[in-house]
Amino acid sequence: MSRSFAVPLDAVDEVQVHADGVTAVKRIVADDPYLVGHYPGFPIYPGVFTVETVHQAARRAVEAGRGPGVRVELAAVRSVRFRAPLLPGDVLTAACRLREDPDGGQRVRVDADCRRHDGEVTAKVSLELLVLSQEPADA
Amino acid sequence: MLEYAELTAILPHRHPILQIDRVLEVEPGRRIVAVKAVTGTEPCFAGLTDGLPASAYAFPPALIVESLGQAGAALWVLSARAGGDEPRGTLVFGAARDFRFAGAAYPGDVMRHEVVVESLKPNSAVMRGETWVGDRRIAVVGSMLAVARPESELAAGPTD
Repeated sequence: MSRSFAVPLDAVDEVQVHADGVTAVKRIVADDPYLVGHYPGFPIYPGVFTVETVHQAARRAVEAGRGPGVRVELAAVRSVRFRAPLLPGDVLTAACRLREDPDGGQRVRVDADCRRHDGEVTAKVSLELLVLSQEPADA
Repeated sequence: MLEYAELTAILPHRHPILQIDRVLEVEPGRRIVAVKAVTGTEPCFAGLTDGLPASAYAFPPALIVESLGQAGAALWVLSARAGGDEPRGTLVFGAARDFRFAGAAYPGDVMRHEVVVESLKPNSAVMRGETWVGDRRIAVVGSMLAVARPESELAAGPTD
């Protein structure tokens, strides 16, 4: 495990980049970080971790698309609606559509349809990412 | 003021996802002020490579949402109890709108959440809130919806 920014967990197992966005897959397991406390004896993938799955997938796609020298931050969760829970054994697929804002592409809008392996919609997530130039490392 | 031990009697969340440390002020039915200290030993800071810029150590926004949401959940439970009641079922995050981040919290910072009630019902609560680090406002949420679900319904799957 070697990360370039702080995250509550690696919220993406696989990503597939396509023309208008990215699709991420996350298999929910009981020993995912933080789940031991959410909730004891009754693990549920926290709603905010679905937001994190979408965030990590979209961030990866934007960083890959723009090349080195950019840093991507989450500027806003414009809206999120949770509709069904994700339990250990479930597989989450987040289909994320990315749209750059017309002026300069500094902001990227992400709309994600999140479904469980049985097809049930688990969440609808709409995020706004901010694309910045990379600051120099401290070291 | 409510300490961490008392929070475990209010929220179902436990270590390491119990994301508030102390309640400073509460007016049941109206508002709450709760704090969370961010420390480098938290699981979210594990495994970062050396030589990263300061921004890499920003406390993850998803956990800011969780922490602010828990402050709201605590307000809901305390408000219900003040009225001799209790939310029925497990509290879950239902929805949020206009959650904007305007800054970050880093290890060593203390986040202060201020949450205000918009509406309270037996099975749902709508709240808005802000998160501050000192005099910097780092996050604002226009509305958060929390709902109480029976555990049987959660285990069964669809909840809508």
